[in-house]
Amino acid sequence: MAQSYDAVIIGGGHNGLVSAAYLARAGLKTLVLEKRDLLGGAAVTEEIFPGFRFSVASYVVSLLRPEIIRELELPKHGLDILPLDGTFTPLEKDYLWRVNDHGRTIRELRRWSLSDAEAYEEYGQLMVEMARFIKPILSIVPPDLTGLDPRQFTPLSGLLRAFQKLPEKQQAVFVQLMTMSATGFLRQWFETDPLIATMSASGIIGTYQGVQSPGTAYVLLHHYMGEIDGAFRAWGIPRGGTGGVSEAIGSSARALGAEIRLEAPVARIIVKHGRAVGVALESGEEIQARAVLSSVDSRLTYLGLIESGTLDPEFEEEVGRFKFRGSSGKVNMAVDRLPDFTCLPGEGEHLRGAISFSAGVDDMERAYDDAKYGRWSRRPYIDMIIPTLVDPSMAPPGKHVISCFVQYAPYKLDPSLGTWDDNREAFGDAVIDRIAEVAPNIRDIILHRQVLTPLDIERRFGLTEGNIFQGELSLEQLFFNRPVPGYARFKTPIRDLWLCGSATHPGGGLMGANGRIAAMEVLRAFGRKAA
Amino acid sequence: MSTTATSSFDAIVVGAGHNGLVAAAYLARAGVRVLVLERRERVGGIADTVEIAPNVRAPAVAHTVGRLRASVARELGLRAHGLSLVAPDVRVFAPQPDGREITLWADPATTAEGLRAWSGHDAERYVGFDGLVRSIGRFLAELNAATPPDVKSPGVGDALAALRLGRRFRGLGKRDSHAVLRVLPMAIADFVAESFETDALQGVLATRGIQNTAMGPWSAGTTNVFLADSAGNDGGAAGQTVYARGGPGALAAALAAAVTAKGGQIRTEAEVVEIRTVDGRVVGVTLASGEEIGSSIVVAGADPKRVLTTLIDPVVVGPGMCWRATNIRTPGTVAKVNLALSGLPRFPAAGDGADHEARLRGRIVVAPGIDYVERAFDAAKYGRSSELPYLEATIPSLVDPSLVAGAPDGTQVMSIHLQYAPYALREGSWDGRGGELGDLALKTLEQYAPGIGSLVTARQVLTPLDLERDYGLTGGHPYHAEPSLDSFFLWRPLFGHARYRLPVDGLYLAGSGAHPGGGITGQPGQNAAREILADRKRWRR
Repeated sequence: MAQSYDAVIIGGGHNGLVSAAYLARAGLKTLVLEKRDLLGGAAVTEEIFPGFRFSVASYVVSLLRPEIIRELELPKHGLDILPLDGTFTPLEKDYLWRVNDHGRTIRELRRWSLSDAEAYEEYGQLMVEMARFIKPILSIVPPDLTGLDPRQFTPLSGLLRAFQKLPEKQQAVFVQLMTMSATGFLRQWFETDPLIATMSASGIIGTYQGVQSPGTAYVLLHHYMGEIDGAFRAWGIPRGGTGGVSEAIGSSARALGAEIRLEAPVARIIVKHGRAVGVALESGEEIQARAVLSSVDSRLTYLGLIESGTLDPEFEEEVGRFKFRGSSGKVNMAVDRLPDFTCLPGEGEHLRGAISFSAGVDDMERAYDDAKYGRWSRRPYIDMIIPTLVDPSMAPPGKHVISCFVQYAPYKLDPSLGTWDDNREAFGDAVIDRIAEVAPNIRDIILHRQVLTPLDIERRFGLTEGNIFQGELSLEQLFFNRPVPGYARFKTPIRDLWLCGSATHPGGGLMGANGRIAAMEVLRAFGRKAA
Repeated sequence: MSTTATSSFDAIVVGAGHNGLVAAAYLARAGVRVLVLERRERVGGIADTVEIAPNVRAPAVAHTVGRLRASVARELGLRAHGLSLVAPDVRVFAPQPDGREITLWADPATTAEGLRAWSGHDAERYVGFDGLVRSIGRFLAELNAATPPDVKSPGVGDALAALRLGRRFRGLGKRDSHAVLRVLPMAIADFVAESFETDALQGVLATRGIQNTAMGPWSAGTTNVFLADSAGNDGGAAGQTVYARGGPGALAAALAAAVTAKGGQIRTEAEVVEIRTVDGRVVGVTLASGEEIGSSIVVAGADPKRVLTTLIDPVVVGPGMCWRATNIRTPGTVAKVNLALSGLPRFPAAGDGADHEARLRGRIVVAPGIDYVERAFDAAKYGRSSELPYLEATIPSLVDPSLVAGAPDGTQVMSIHLQYAPYALREGSWDGRGGELGDLALKTLEQYAPGIGSLVTARQVLTPLDLERDYGLTGGHPYHAEPSLDSFFLWRPLFGHARYRLPVDGLYLAGSGAHPGGGITGQPGQNAAREILADRKRWRR
């Protein structure tokens, strides 16, 4: 006889695990099914080269919701976040270095521009206000504006009232954040090119947009929410790599009674009379469930796991419209020494934070121009972290690991370039070349190198088109449109089937909010049934 | 009231562009003593006709007037004041580098038939796409005709308006209402790709999403620009192609006649250099001549950045508002080239004889593909003009021979909108460099109409700098403020000031910088006049 559960969750990424933990906590018999032999999805730590452990994909954390950390008691389950201090932007002969020490940053900015130094303070305060205002949005179930049920608008009207209480200037700035380009927004305060370029980089992470594209200011805000209002008030890296977060959530879920099965790939969701009643594994095994939650993206769920003919073709067309367009790659390196920057030689504090290869707005924009026409950026934007400086356990003594997040690497290459399998190493070389411009010793210190193209990200992590957010964070794919207009409330057209991954509101990033709200909605539905 | 005022009016309109004239006409019609002050020697602003060679008259800047709201034309009796419109059967002719063409006709079914040569799929989808554009366009027209609600202290009227809009929204049906919410912030390249596979078709459609903007087809929010262009007119997917007989100046003349017929006054060569205030209230204006004219209402047809940062005492505006006004984005990217031609240029892609001429009566659009337009835009990002620009040309003399009456037989006039020519050049300025843009336009056209250069008998070029200097458009922006998502509806031109009332008592905005934005629509002027009249009624009580 098939096993039976209250809830089965497809995918053991951070959101799937968060959902599982909350459902188990409410007493549901819960099972998580993970395809790979390790937990975490894109939040994993793997020993890629002997002795060297990497946060293979997702590599920093700040967005993880504080209520999740608290409610799931993650520190008790081993979560330990080590802060990363500052952002260092190496230039040819100079650098821009911002740190958490406000006074030092202001002194550094004065070196570039007095007015920028002055504006930095005002800007920082404003963004704190903005993050505070927008925070509740992260835990809202988006309303369906075409729906008639007035109750769904309650959280929105609360937000509206909060908005009305903001001073007019802040209201205006909020609107700008929702609509402008990252650079357009920042230029209202700043004039220093490397500063604008570096700050605006947060606006393009995971998007197929340039820093001057409208809509990127929102992504900037998306990244500020953790930075300012999260538990850690800065970016950090989990001890033991990003897998540490997944392990902690998984451990919490297990402690709460959830069952987790690895190497258990789901082949399809079993739908009977318009209801999801369980899943079939690739092994042929069937598992019954009162509710099925899918943490994989909307395309894989609707078009991959559900038998065709089950869903309305018009709905399927809408699902097909949701854009993924992965645009980022990852280069992980094992090195036997630290990189040495010409502009600030030697080892030092500047290597302990993020190292941002964003010398100017034009550089960033040209990197995007390449991608627009189906090429990987010849001079890419790189966000480099050296985790071993804060967590030496990741490499053998004296050695280091380097994580490079790279943009742009468009999933769809121009046909004249061939496939990503033909371009992987050349792309990796371009990254090294870019680093070597400011840290020439990079070529001599590399022991091993792993290049992940969007195709690799798709294959390895099951992220469609290699999009790290399970779907672009473009304006038309947010809130009540995410991932399908009319189906943004975690519910799907199939009863008892729910989405709980990054493809839902409020989008991607190591945040966990999606999994938590989805679980709450499932519990609400169960509660209503019980009553 | 200032004691030095030489005369006094109920309302003064600064700028006799089409929106200023529309606002003035509505005010005059309601019995308001109104005076329009225009810096130039002619009214109309960018809706004007100029003589570029003896007896050759060209559209000064804008060349079609089909976006004019029907209610404006009707209520102001523009036909009686001499306005006569011509709409050819052809909307757009888009020649391609390989010698083929895409033609968009007034009748979508005819267009679809022609598209069959490119793609059966696209031909099938065209009529449906046209229907969607019209459906959303009707909804947007309603939105455009409404004053954005008061978010600070919403009143009964705002609630009613919201309700009306909500009903309209539901009236769209589930599918189209979802579409509105989803597509407005989209990139036009994505929107057209959802329906069509032919790059040439995508390119020509996408141009209306980027026209007059500093955005490319891949920029978010350009679908909104595209749909707004089809709102409140018969444009549909192809967009409107309507000429005023006698050129756009005829529209300005009709509007001016509507003002004066109701007792309004218009003074040209009367540049306002200051909007005067006392205790934070508008009391009148000062002209460049030093003359002061009193009025407790001043209505700006000029762009909001100019008004708030150069015409009023910054102390009155306040530092916060000054900062915001300075940040109104006005990145002009458009140049205008007018040509007098000794004969009709031949576009081989347009076929022969009557067919050839029929296709050239509409807008001739050079935008062969999304990447072509996007690359044209790329140059602007780095402060250069496009090597291969997007062009929209018209030959209005084909439908309105009066434009060349008295000129040698066979003379035609061609009006070319060229994009992108960024106002802010990375190197140097546009001073004295108009010739480059004229050459660029001709070089580009030469590929589609070989020999056109040899037909040119006269040429006039307006760079973005000329648009700023001659027409008072800050940054050379024909829409007064970028029509991007950050300058839309409730937050055009500035959040909290979208209701036509600028942050100084008695000062109103009636130009393209206000909701619903630029283009020859008359809608901002009509909406502003309605709000001014409502305020006057309130004060009287």
